[in-house]
Amino acid sequence: MANENSSFQLLANGILKENPIFKLALSMCPAVGISTTVINGLLLGTAVLFVQVFSSVTISALKKYIHPRIRIPTYTLTIATWVTVIDLCLAAFFPLAYAKMGIFVKIIVAFAIITMRLEMFACKEPVSDSFWDGLGMGLGFLVGMVVIGFVRELLGSGAILGYDVLGFKPLLFFILPSAGFFVVGLMMAFFNWIEVAYAQRKKG
Amino acid sequence: MKDILTIILRLTASCLIAGLIMGMTFVFTNKAKKANEHAREEKVVYSLLGYSKANPIPDSMGLHEIFRYVISDGETQSIGYLLPSEGHGEAKSFNFVRIGLDGKYIDSSSVSITEEKVKEQKERDAAVQLALGAGKAIRFVDQTIVVTEGDGRLAYLLGGKFPGFKTHIAIMLALDPSYSILGLEVMEHEEDPGLGAEIEQEYFKNQFKLKPFEKIKSIEVVKAPLPNEYFDALEGKVDESAAVDIMKQYSDQDIYALTGATISSAAVSSGVRAMTKKFAYRLDILDRVLNEQQIAVPF
Repeated sequence: MANENSSFQLLANGILKENPIFKLALSMCPAVGISTTVINGLLLGTAVLFVQVFSSVTISALKKYIHPRIRIPTYTLTIATWVTVIDLCLAAFFPLAYAKMGIFVKIIVAFAIITMRLEMFACKEPVSDSFWDGLGMGLGFLVGMVVIGFVRELLGSGAILGYDVLGFKPLLFFILPSAGFFVVGLMMAFFNWIEVAYAQRKKG
Repeated sequence: MKDILTIILRLTASCLIAGLIMGMTFVFTNKAKKANEHAREEKVVYSLLGYSKANPIPDSMGLHEIFRYVISDGETQSIGYLLPSEGHGEAKSFNFVRIGLDGKYIDSSSVSITEEKVKEQKERDAAVQLALGAGKAIRFVDQTIVVTEGDGRLAYLLGGKFPGFKTHIAIMLALDPSYSILGLEVMEHEEDPGLGAEIEQEYFKNQFKLKPFEKIKSIEVVKAPLPNEYFDALEGKVDESAAVDIMKQYSDQDIYALTGATISSAAVSSGVRAMTKKFAYRLDILDRVLNEQQIAVPF
């Protein structure tokens, strides 16, 4: 089954139309738990991006050899393998970042968004399309994490990327996990509003 | 039946491939990871003693590691210290000194292990077990570095881990020979950014600096705003001698808790208090035993 979408459409789909955080509302737990600063969001987003792309390509390349009844264990095994690889590499080459992110990188194994993309897309589509889809979804997650991190860091600790920009801390609450839900909710509303506004303009 | 075989075969093949990939990455990254950890520890040790890469530790100073073990022999337990013995040049040897829970000397045996291998826990455990003989269970507890200059002791460096607000906080403490605090470094923690994570900041961890042992024994946190001049001194905004003077002025003061993170602050203070008190108690016993038994050590 060939996909008629171009690679650019697949890429844009993950970032805008089916953004994992703001549209599909998947993998909310890490999105809320870790996105306290821009850097945290960027790091975890990058790790997810790699895992998503590698897993999508692997499953897509091997889809003929995967027995349809036991596809879930195979997906889990694939994801776990790539997460371990990323985890080991981060620990070895980015020790400072890893010291902060360590336990969260391991949790990527259980991210719903990755399994969902393997099940919905990679196991049916050719390798190149799966690559673009994985890249789009990974970038969508990365963008989402960075945006949430930006809002929370600015409002919570008055800083951006660790640099003090406001000189005071507007609302300590935004650092706490519960505030993550508020930010995600507001962002969702914003994304939906853009979509509705765009659709209306197209009509009129 | 055919399906069962295919499934088994394919899953096994996937597992083998996955294992191969992970194993290769592990081998490839393990060395770099170990080197990183070692470099970080070394850097912290240097900075706590007031040295850096550009300003290295002089040759007259020696770093001697002590490893502490708990030994269970049936019902009875004892404490064992793996100590470097007074070595001549390259051929350093190690002694394992056992002390009972009542603080009385039990026995001492020599352990054959090289200076490089003693840093690897597996090799060290095996060597200690060999020296003690079978039938005794050993458990590694912690390690301390004694820093010497010439014949005198300059400082002790000890690592410790205690529960914080979320998970564990791991710190490294530098004490002077009278157990006053020379410095504190937070090695690992998972406190909330902007709140508990502020324990990493100079203005918090430097509050422990230059506190005398007498004060540390009963140190608590106070919920009061940090005075401005003290803050500047802790952050290194004034020159060093002035900062030391200000810190000495406040040396009898409890630790000012971080805003919104009283529990993290209290966890660090009580952790430091417990570590220092226990270390002082243990080292006094060890020193007495070494003295009584005439066991020569390089510190």
